[in-house]
Amino acid sequence: MNDIITNALLLILQLGVTVLMAPFIFGIIKKTKARIQNRRGPSIFQPYADLTKLLKKEVVISENASWLFSFTPYLLIASTLVIVILVPTVFAPLPFHWIGDIITVAYLLALGRFFLALAGLDTASGFGGLGSSREMSIASIVEPAMMLSIFAVAVTAGSTNLSIVVRSLSTTPASIFNPSHLLAFVALFIVTIAETGRIPVDNPETHLELTMIHEAMILEYSGRYLAFIEWASQMKMVIFLSLLANLFFPIGLATVLSPAALGVSIVAFVAKMTLLAIGIALVESTNAKLRLFRVPDLLMTAFILSLLSLILYFIVGA
Amino acid sequence: MDPKLKYSLLLKETWGDRLTVETSVAPNELYLTLDPRFVGSLVEICSTLVKSFRAHFVTLVPVDERSTKRSLSVLYIFSVAHDDLFLILSVPVDPRNMELPSISTHVESANWFEREMKDWFGIIAFPNIYRLASHPDWPEDVHPMLKDFKADQKVPRVRGDFEFKRVEGEGIFEIPVGPVHAGIIEPGHFRFSVAGEPIINLEAQLFYTHKATEKIGEGLTPERTVFLAERISGDTSFGHALAFCHAIERMSAIEIPERALVSRTILLELERLYNHIGDIGAIMLDVGYGVGASMASHLKEQLLQSNEILTGSRLLRGMAAIGGIRRNIEDTPSKRQTLHDVSRNQRKSFENLVEIAMSSSSTLDRLETTGQLTHKEAFRLGVIGLAGRASGIDRDLRRDHPHCSYRQLRFKPALHNEGDVLARFNVRIDEVRHSFELLEQLEDLLSEGPTRATHGPIPSGGFALGYAEAWRGEVVHWVMTDGSGKITRWKITDPSFHNWKGVTVAARNNIIPDFPVINKSFNLSYSGNDR
Repeated sequence: MNDIITNALLLILQLGVTVLMAPFIFGIIKKTKARIQNRRGPSIFQPYADLTKLLKKEVVISENASWLFSFTPYLLIASTLVIVILVPTVFAPLPFHWIGDIITVAYLLALGRFFLALAGLDTASGFGGLGSSREMSIASIVEPAMMLSIFAVAVTAGSTNLSIVVRSLSTTPASIFNPSHLLAFVALFIVTIAETGRIPVDNPETHLELTMIHEAMILEYSGRYLAFIEWASQMKMVIFLSLLANLFFPIGLATVLSPAALGVSIVAFVAKMTLLAIGIALVESTNAKLRLFRVPDLLMTAFILSLLSLILYFIVGA
Repeated sequence: MDPKLKYSLLLKETWGDRLTVETSVAPNELYLTLDPRFVGSLVEICSTLVKSFRAHFVTLVPVDERSTKRSLSVLYIFSVAHDDLFLILSVPVDPRNMELPSISTHVESANWFEREMKDWFGIIAFPNIYRLASHPDWPEDVHPMLKDFKADQKVPRVRGDFEFKRVEGEGIFEIPVGPVHAGIIEPGHFRFSVAGEPIINLEAQLFYTHKATEKIGEGLTPERTVFLAERISGDTSFGHALAFCHAIERMSAIEIPERALVSRTILLELERLYNHIGDIGAIMLDVGYGVGASMASHLKEQLLQSNEILTGSRLLRGMAAIGGIRRNIEDTPSKRQTLHDVSRNQRKSFENLVEIAMSSSSTLDRLETTGQLTHKEAFRLGVIGLAGRASGIDRDLRRDHPHCSYRQLRFKPALHNEGDVLARFNVRIDEVRHSFELLEQLEDLLSEGPTRATHGPIPSGGFALGYAEAWRGEVVHWVMTDGSGKITRWKITDPSFHNWKGVTVAARNNIIPDFPVINKSFNLSYSGNDR
């Protein structure tokens, strides 16, 4: 009985941390970028206000849209929440970690993307199709790079289950600082930028439809649906940032259930996420967006880096 | 030898009595009238002017003179830069047979002018018969610029749809964009034919912002028309108003006081500064380099605030007046200080901005080789102004047909040959630097005296060209007055009208996501084009 309650509480904590923290990370990125540009910028809590506003607004749907269009936001939020259950943030192992490993995560991401791309095509607007085709071609290069970079860490732990990987790494801190992991970290960072549609791969702040990737797919969405999609992509950012934080620097992560450990873990997690968000903002401020046909070059770099990291592990045995 | 005399003799020698040469009040305009019996030699004459005389096609002005001469006439205006002369070839058109040979087979830059002439005057430049300015829901036989069409006349709409050149083949898609765009920009419809991302063909449908400015101007006094001229294109408020004032002053031989000339030059350069810096920022924003973009917009805002201190208007409106300027821009110490700040302090901030831009290799990578318009294409299409100078077209009215105080100033037009977005970016940087230098020189030229000449009545039946090198390129107005000194014909030529063809050609073989920055690097006016 106690186990069930603990597990339920842990699940609520895990979901709550990601769901509630997601808009905050975006707020930090926006604020940092504004400060670098000598602007005051919106409050870091502005994304919460934006989501609340969108949730209250009426949904406008094109007459030509099919059921796919209204189904996709729900599917996207659901698949994202399942991923959230699998990616450790403040505690490992997570209560339902056995339902899936990193491969499940990759497929759930692909599922959401697949439906989003279909929804982009569904309204038959020129921009939606443009966005969908770009998103899918980029995804085909991002996915292998993501899998490989996580595998590079997973081989050290001997498992593909994220909770087990994270726990085994946090108990053997020596394995954190090895060259193989460093390469994999850089690779996963590039993947994060591509997956979450940030500069230099995509520009989330542009109003130019012709240059958009992710935004072009969701141009037709409004109101509640748009809120779901925005929220899902904010959570996706948290998922990737927590992969970066916990796979490579699992310092402070709680592995035993005690209020003290959990408290430390939450503080450490928020600090790591804020640092990573600032890192993303720095990359965005110092780079212009890449020419679309140069994006594969960047992603190939990520792929090669993770491949090198794996090879390094087997050769050096580090 | 006086260029007017030289060209009169030369033209007489070549075409004998086919051409009647007349001189005009304005010092550098030579009017040639073609005998209607020899209208067949129009193409030959125009192509000789361009090829042998190295004249540059400036604009085409149809005039409905049926009430006075029982015919229409079409003026083909050419500029001979090396002799600071405008050759204006006037061809009478019989109202019963509104047809002329098309010169655009030899002078391609006249293409849009001829098509617009057909829409607005019903004069067909055969075989150039395609519509340009009037949209398909406008009846084909209604020509709004003819005198018997009233400006407030209601016209029944007809059924019709746009026709675009279609590219067909496997994997070719059409992407329609606009006329309503995201962001605060003007309306225009773009039809892309793409094979995946690469653009195979781009067609632009403009004239959504046609306001019949030329028509509304007819019947107004020149003093009132100045205000209308300021509203042709918001970003060129002063340039257009100045070109219009020049036309009136040239036809009435009004002598402008020295102090007003210097002030006008300062205002023209201030307009160039804020627009160029704004565009430099906008180009960086379009490639996602936010740091450079916000720095540029900060600098632009400072310049706009300086404009407000000097003139009371951020966009330099209400300053141009016939005979000089409306208000003094350097009569108080605070205004003088502002002028001084612009040419010294803003210059330093601008150099910082250039450093930020040039140190971002990812930005330069996006700009280089993007949207290339070769010199050959630019020359063929008649691309002018800053876009022309980025493709190696060495033409700048400030040097070629000096107006205001430019004769007294030392300066060399910017020139780049690559024709890509980076070249247009660099031309802007060079021109901003020149503007700062010019402002510094102009400060020394400031003197005491009146800022506006008093003048007598505007002559009746007068006509003249007025021009100015505004920030985007040459703005040319041709104005004619009626028996009471009011406007009876006003032709406005914004550089955008010359350059839009350049945008569609430059976009070819680029990829779709690069189009916005290509378009921005030209930054053409829709309003000035559509009028």
